[in-house]
Amino acid sequence: MAVSLSNFLLPISLLLAATVHAATVTYDFDVSWVYANPDGLQNRPVIGINGQWPIPTIRVTKGDRLVVNVKNSLGNQTTSLHFHGLYMNGTNHMDGVDAVTQCGIAPGSTFTHNFTVDQPGTYWYHSHVRGQYPDGLRGPLIVEDPDDPHKDLYDEEIVLTFSDWYHGMMTDLLKGFISVANPSGAEPVPDSALVNETQNLTVKIEPGKTYLFRMINMGAFAAHYVWFEDHTMQIVEVDGVYTEPADADMLYMTAAQRVSVLITAKNDSNSNFAFVGSMDQDLFDVIPEGLNPNVTGWLVYDDAKEKPPPKEVDSFEPFDDFTLVPEDKEELYDHVDHTVQLDLKMDNLNDGANYAFFNDITYVHPKVPTLYTVLSTGSNATNPAIYGSNTNQFVLKANEVVEIILNNDDPGKHPFHLHGHAFQLVHRSEDEAGFYDSNAAPSFPATPMRRDTVLVHPNGNIVLRFRSDNPGVWLFHCHIEWHVASGLVATIIERPLDIQAQLAGKIPQDHLDNCKLDGVPTAGNAAGNTADLLDLTGENRSPGTLPAGFTARGIVALVFSCVAAFLGMAVIGWYGMAPIKAKTG
Amino acid sequence: MPNVFAVPVFFICFRECLETSIIVSVLLAFLKQTLGPEHDAKVRKKLVRQIWYGVGLGVLICLIICAGVIGSFYTVGTNAFEAAENIWEGVFALLASIIITLMGAALLRVSKLQDKWRVKISRVLETRESAVPAKGKWKVWCEKYAMFILPFITVLREGIEAVLFIAGVGLGLPATSFPLAVICGLGAGILVGYLIYKGGNRTSLQIFLVISTCFLYLVAAGLFSKGVWNLEQNAWVNLAGEGAAEAGAGPGSYDIRKSVWHVNCCSPLENGDGGWGIFNSLFGWQNSATYGSVISYNLYWLAVIVGFLFLGFKERKGNSAVEKADSETGSGENVLAGKKAEGAVASSAVREVPE
Repeated sequence: MAVSLSNFLLPISLLLAATVHAATVTYDFDVSWVYANPDGLQNRPVIGINGQWPIPTIRVTKGDRLVVNVKNSLGNQTTSLHFHGLYMNGTNHMDGVDAVTQCGIAPGSTFTHNFTVDQPGTYWYHSHVRGQYPDGLRGPLIVEDPDDPHKDLYDEEIVLTFSDWYHGMMTDLLKGFISVANPSGAEPVPDSALVNETQNLTVKIEPGKTYLFRMINMGAFAAHYVWFEDHTMQIVEVDGVYTEPADADMLYMTAAQRVSVLITAKNDSNSNFAFVGSMDQDLFDVIPEGLNPNVTGWLVYDDAKEKPPPKEVDSFEPFDDFTLVPEDKEELYDHVDHTVQLDLKMDNLNDGANYAFFNDITYVHPKVPTLYTVLSTGSNATNPAIYGSNTNQFVLKANEVVEIILNNDDPGKHPFHLHGHAFQLVHRSEDEAGFYDSNAAPSFPATPMRRDTVLVHPNGNIVLRFRSDNPGVWLFHCHIEWHVASGLVATIIERPLDIQAQLAGKIPQDHLDNCKLDGVPTAGNAAGNTADLLDLTGENRSPGTLPAGFTARGIVALVFSCVAAFLGMAVIGWYGMAPIKAKTG
Repeated sequence: MPNVFAVPVFFICFRECLETSIIVSVLLAFLKQTLGPEHDAKVRKKLVRQIWYGVGLGVLICLIICAGVIGSFYTVGTNAFEAAENIWEGVFALLASIIITLMGAALLRVSKLQDKWRVKISRVLETRESAVPAKGKWKVWCEKYAMFILPFITVLREGIEAVLFIAGVGLGLPATSFPLAVICGLGAGILVGYLIYKGGNRTSLQIFLVISTCFLYLVAAGLFSKGVWNLEQNAWVNLAGEGAAEAGAGPGSYDIRKSVWHVNCCSPLENGDGGWGIFNSLFGWQNSATYGSVISYNLYWLAVIVGFLFLGFKERKGNSAVEKADSETGSGENVLAGKKAEGAVASSAVREVPE
């Protein structure tokens, strides 16, 4: 898992160097199928880059321009790259979300991402095409920071990714997941847990040194409990937001969350220590026999010494990230301008499959990528109606404090992620707290923890706040990939007229070319209608709702059955009474 | 209600008990008639006692067999059924439906059984009176105790039949649903048998039989439909696995592709909805009807209608033929004619025997 330096092209512009201290970092990525067997159980096709898997770590310095030239050599699938956690301020079209900010990169085609990274921390990049990244297209993205407030506290940096792994291909698993045969919506259970896309990883440690572990959960589904035996973690960053150092013995990292911790090595090298990522099995519907939910690695002080097997833990008592304080002490947004309430539930539609809903609407992507609708509809772009019936759209005005109240009416845990922002987590209930009640809520923290992906507890609620200071079309969605596929997605359309000011006419030709190859329209409302923007005829819709009771078909059947029964009994009566008549008559 | 009263079991008991009590009543009536007050009271008492001994012994043996069968079922069998509960329930519901259907037609003609048996017994007794020489010891013994053997064999035969039927039908039913149904069935059978013995109003008896038969066929139609439903449900559970079981009566508990109607309530399987359970066992109600269950229900009735029309027209033809024969030959020949043309003819032929 070493960073492949051959990928680095660092053409530092001498002209620019004089004015700003920024470089342009370019990556050429050729996305294609390769074979891999990371858990030693099954060799399978995975999506690699430049013939390699695991895929490279992207590494830039804050302020750099990042250029990623993507070529899709998969042959059988479209793809895209989303840079998870980057705000993409002014470059919404580079966010990499299929059917929202661009069209999927067609097989054989190319796509160039070109944007400035102006935020430090630990991020990752992955495909944002339906259910694709768990097939392997997921890698770390590290933004180094010359001004890191904690830089004097550590000697070296180590990146650890935790993830879940499936032996089946996502296309097949999705087919089985959203299916009449899976009415309860039971998510496929991973086959293995991985660390740095492998198992039994060894991490070389030198006594006395302090290390910054940048940890990323790149999984599709499972959250990980993470602990290092006999070492205390000091949390200094979550999702790119520096925090005041906080000690933790065990972390809980949902899919897509990142945590950076400082770990100081012991002063002797008498023994080696295990560290464990343990998938949260509460998420799994049925735990298959023989599943090992854990992945183990070792802090190796001395290669010659044994690597002890991990010890059993009595219980999972992870650190609660709600208690963290951001290092910049950004104060609570206490005046809310715009409240968005999202009630989450799971239910079945009339194709028999199980779907996820916000406010009784399950997300189905529009025909026209939402960004292109914004850019092609002029002043109508502020009208939410044009964005479709199944997109859970919310249009935000400039510089509002926006509050998202999410009520989880489902007994599962969900990690929610907002593109384009880190948000303040001002409230998170315990399990089974029901819907959020602003009158009964305890007071909010003065300097709430910020991050871009947050856990909501089963049947609980969360309240998030952010300022609408970043024009763009941003998805708000559960980062469990299964739930993205089953529709647990909302579209935040932030300052559409400012998006037009930034990007109208500036969408690069290669973006539009991919739409042409995909056969996707690039103008008009959600249905691709450019003439009457309120006419959504032909838009993508979810299956209909289940009939609540008797339909015409049922009534006819019931009436028929009753008539048949009465006729039958009449004939029985005729036959039964006949001999008497014959006798008397 | 399905947990305490198994309707098919009730009807099986009722039917078998009715047949037995008719035979016993015919025998008793026969004794009363042939060994009238002018005969030796001692002999008559002895013969009556023979009948009751026969009945008693037959019942006893049946009970022993029954206990053995049930015992082995519920110790050995139950676990095996759990795994494939829907298949078992489906197959046995279909089986029970067919059995009840065939029995039901006979029940309508139960009054003719009386006549049939009267003919049989009179022949047995007649052969005794026209004593032929050269008889084995066995035959002599048989004749001496005919009044014991006849009811004994009858009770045994009907009883074992009932046990086997109940075993088949009841396999999918909880053990608690048996006792009440069996007791009621036996009670009703004895009551109707007694009424026939007493020779009450034949028409009202016939009306009673028609109504109970209609009821019986409603149950059978429901069972038939339920059997098909159970088999479909089995296929669904195989497909959807855990999800189907978790869903209760809600979405996912049924296969939307085969659904004709579904209401998220009123499930006969849910414990709280007792009334719907009755509705289910009487008429085959399902809160989730499938194409299979609805079509099979209607086809069942179609088959019943066609079957009875066929029987009805056949009998009418037969009746007119016999009436013709009646006028041509003496009533003495009717016994034979009746035997040939089955029960239907016998009714008109032997009706004259005074009660």
